[in-house]
Amino acid sequence: MDAIAIDEPEVTISWQGVVRFLHKTPRAFLPMRSFPSLELVAGRGIEGDRYFVGHETGFYSHKPEEGRQVTLFEMETLEALQRDHKIELLPEEHRRNVTIEGVPLNHLVGRRFRLGEAIVEATRLSTPCRHIEEILGKSVFDPLINRSGLNCKIIAGGTLRVGDAVRPI
Amino acid sequence: MAKAIKTVSTVVSKVEDLGNDTKRFTLVDQDDWELPPFRPGAHIDVHLGQGLVRTYSLCNDPDDDRRYVIAVKREREGRGGSNFLHDRVEVGQPISVSLPRGGIALDQEGTNVFLAGGIGVTPFISAIRHLERRGRSNFVLHWTSRGRPVLTDMIASAIEAGRVRLYDTTAQTKPVIAAIVGEFTGSGLAACCGPAPMLKAFEDAVSAWPEERKHIEMFTPPKVSARSDVPPYELYLSASQKLATVTPDVGLLGTLDALGVEVPVSCGGGICGACRTRWTEGPPIHRDRVLSIAERQNELIVCVGDCAGQRLVLDL
Repeated sequence: MDAIAIDEPEVTISWQGVVRFLHKTPRAFLPMRSFPSLELVAGRGIEGDRYFVGHETGFYSHKPEEGRQVTLFEMETLEALQRDHKIELLPEEHRRNVTIEGVPLNHLVGRRFRLGEAIVEATRLSTPCRHIEEILGKSVFDPLINRSGLNCKIIAGGTLRVGDAVRPI
Repeated sequence: MAKAIKTVSTVVSKVEDLGNDTKRFTLVDQDDWELPPFRPGAHIDVHLGQGLVRTYSLCNDPDDDRRYVIAVKREREGRGGSNFLHDRVEVGQPISVSLPRGGIALDQEGTNVFLAGGIGVTPFISAIRHLERRGRSNFVLHWTSRGRPVLTDMIASAIEAGRVRLYDTTAQTKPVIAAIVGEFTGSGLAACCGPAPMLKAFEDAVSAWPEERKHIEMFTPPKVSARSDVPPYELYLSASQKLATVTPDVGLLGTLDALGVEVPVSCGGGICGACRTRWTEGPPIHRDRVLSIAERQNELIVCVGDCAGQRLVLDL
């Protein structure tokens, strides 16, 4: 049979998202506090956060990891928890630093992308932990498996503000 | 490797001697950050060093998220916790505490009847302040005290409004608990915190009440991440030559923790694989979602693991 030539339109696969919330906390167990902006420092983390290198006071600080310099979480996951599991999880409760919308976090492991003024590199997917259930008293462990956010190291620092764009490099 | 942080760091910001052998301690974050939230009637473990851990009810308003307030009566014949707090703890001193646990499920519509003996009033103070902040008056407190009660300043408005009945047992007889709760058999919540005879009288008085309508204040143990539902078994750690019994209330992970064995637990839910450990005797119960069938022949994810037999040997 002869091959049929099809005119396929050229498709560029891309994405762009936005920063919706920013949070940090200075010590393990303390509630996350919302901020309009955060200072990201290359190779160290977020100023004033519990995982800032040289000031390790986080729940996992005894297990140092570059990817804890800044952590991201999807707004869409908060919506899915409400829709599919009837669990209200608030942006200050998931304990990641940056809540973004419109960014396919699970696709970005090993890649670099722009986070406001900063450039970050995703090191691995975050895993949920029972620790968060202990703090919140909400059964979110199972629903968060495979959608618990992204761990990143900071390649180039800068100020990150609510409303900033998140985009590929 | 730095040690894992397992407690909330606080600093003593105020110590007040209230008389009657009672001191009130205010604990805050060193930067005045918000502290983990708590429910009305909740309690915390206070870590006093060298293994001395004591549990106290929080008595401030749960909406006041910048401090934990505890009131401690000196128990001269006690086990040392209250004496340590009275004699050794000063303003500016760091103190580690657990996350708050427990609390009273208050009745939203019916009357909440609180029965307190002495310092046992503390969980009801936070409950009363919680209710009053919401403009609610559906509570009454019956409070017995030997001599002048302390902490009355924390519920002054409730006392002024006539919702607190005080009984000084040096001058009057103790109230009859059955008679007090007997007025509320149809609706509302009854809660009691005090000395053992008082709790016993309360338990007897409400024995026929449905569970959700009664609350006996007892300090609940910390929730363990891998609560076990298997019979007790022996745990032997072959590398460190340590032996212990794993009971259902403590679980495997809690037992390892008590033995002082540092296992690199991360997720605590059997999905990350950080705590995989070799086993040589069992057979273990596997509840993880990490190991293959082949790996399970000699490895165990201990954060959710257990033993199906009488003895588990781990290479730790």
